[in-house]
Amino acid sequence: MLTRHLCFFLLLAAGASAQEPTAAVQVAGDVTRPLTLASGDLARMPRASVKASDHGVETLYEGVWVDELLKRAGVPQGDQLRGKAMASYVLVHAQDGYQAVYSLAELDPAFTGNRVLLADTANGKPLFGERGRFQLVAPGDKAHARSVRMLTKLEVVRLRK
Amino acid sequence: MRAWSACALLLAAGVSAGAEWNWNLPPGFPRPLIPAGNPLTQAKVELGRRLFYDKRMSVNGGQSCASCHKQELAFTDGRARSEGTTGQLHPRGSMSLVNAAYAVTLTWAHPGMTLLEKQALAPMLGTAPVELGLAGHEARFLETLRGVPIYRDLFARAFPGQAQAFTLDNVTKALAAFERTIVSLRSPYDRYRWGGEENALSPAAKRGEVIFFSGERGGCFHCHGGWNFSGAVAGEGGAAPGRGGDGFANTGVSRYAAPNRGVFEHTARSEDLGRFRAPTLRNIALTSPYMHDGSMATLEEVVDHYARGGRYSHPNKDSRMQPLPLSPEDKRDLIEFLRSLTDVEMTRDPRWSDPWEARQRPAQ
Repeated sequence: MLTRHLCFFLLLAAGASAQEPTAAVQVAGDVTRPLTLASGDLARMPRASVKASDHGVETLYEGVWVDELLKRAGVPQGDQLRGKAMASYVLVHAQDGYQAVYSLAELDPAFTGNRVLLADTANGKPLFGERGRFQLVAPGDKAHARSVRMLTKLEVVRLRK
Repeated sequence: MRAWSACALLLAAGVSAGAEWNWNLPPGFPRPLIPAGNPLTQAKVELGRRLFYDKRMSVNGGQSCASCHKQELAFTDGRARSEGTTGQLHPRGSMSLVNAAYAVTLTWAHPGMTLLEKQALAPMLGTAPVELGLAGHEARFLETLRGVPIYRDLFARAFPGQAQAFTLDNVTKALAAFERTIVSLRSPYDRYRWGGEENALSPAAKRGEVIFFSGERGGCFHCHGGWNFSGAVAGEGGAAPGRGGDGFANTGVSRYAAPNRGVFEHTARSEDLGRFRAPTLRNIALTSPYMHDGSMATLEEVVDHYARGGRYSHPNKDSRMQPLPLSPEDKRDLIEFLRSLTDVEMTRDPRWSDPWEARQRPAQ
């Protein structure tokens, strides 16, 4: 009985936390400078925009390039991204538990032209509803599965130390 | 609110626009693709609308297209299985025509059916089952149309320069043109998501939206994705594939006995057994009963079906059909969200209503 009540409580707690979008996104894990960024923080960084098509509907997303955020968190990039760091990756977390992975090289403009945006607005308005407050936009991907909505955290994982 | 009212006025103005059809879509939405062989004109749409609602479209004068596609039911008929003009039952339910202009393929399970012009021939001439029952009566049918004064005017304007405009080909072109104009993008959800009306949705529907689009909780968007809440759509600017692949999936709805074996009926490939379309969920609250066989009467039954990962097991059942961690409140929220996809304006838009109602048909 106690277990059942506990499960019910946990379910309620999980349900409540899954509904309210997080007001900040974290850049965490194996980084030298962990970041917790609200929309106001992102607004003060170099802004970028990309147009993306969602089932034929064009949307203009604005935000900050993910590589800019990783640079500020002290993640190796460019000439520094080599050797064991080539096995490092970013584990992207969404509020509902969804996860996706990018390797560091995939997020480094020295390696690829396919930059990924951490967006906080769409068509000039803050993201809302099922998008959460933050969303990745990966215009270089053909599928949308890594354009993670309801984004909460970019966790850098160093596989080889 | 004001912006959408203005949009509605523009939509209404489209009725009396010039020869070209005025779509008046919300900003950013693609226009439907129009086949090169059947340009969309105001005159052709008007002719198609007359034909759509005309019971002379059936062998015994009992039915028109609108008998199974009623505007107030989002162009479905409220029946589990549709009934033809001679009383024969169709094995499946009537599908909504709303936003059919964007569909890459048509009907419940026919991957080769891509044109509304071609699809219209199935209810007109089909014999298994008989729907409108015109097979073998084509000449008499066209002669009947030729005898109606308003059609002599409408065919001439819809197909200018054709000496013999009264053809089955032109009938299907006009019907398809009319059907393409039935575009529904004015639901409360549209106003909330794209119209900037934060309060157009209830808090429960907003919670339901998050569940619908969460791959970890509902995952509904995998098959009913994008702005049309369906499989693949196409419009100007190209096709947008649905996340559900070609838009057909075996979801464990039934035992899939003939003639309801899904895509298998057309391909005879065992892997296609039980694969049916993921239809648009727009106006889904109006289109009960649900599933190809109408075997679920309510949205509650439908959500329960998906929450338990499908009611029947099947070797072809889609791997995404897994039990969902939904509480009773989650299910209620999800259904509230689905109800927010109803476009009431569509159900009473005069552009798609019965044009014969204003006057008594025998006078024509």
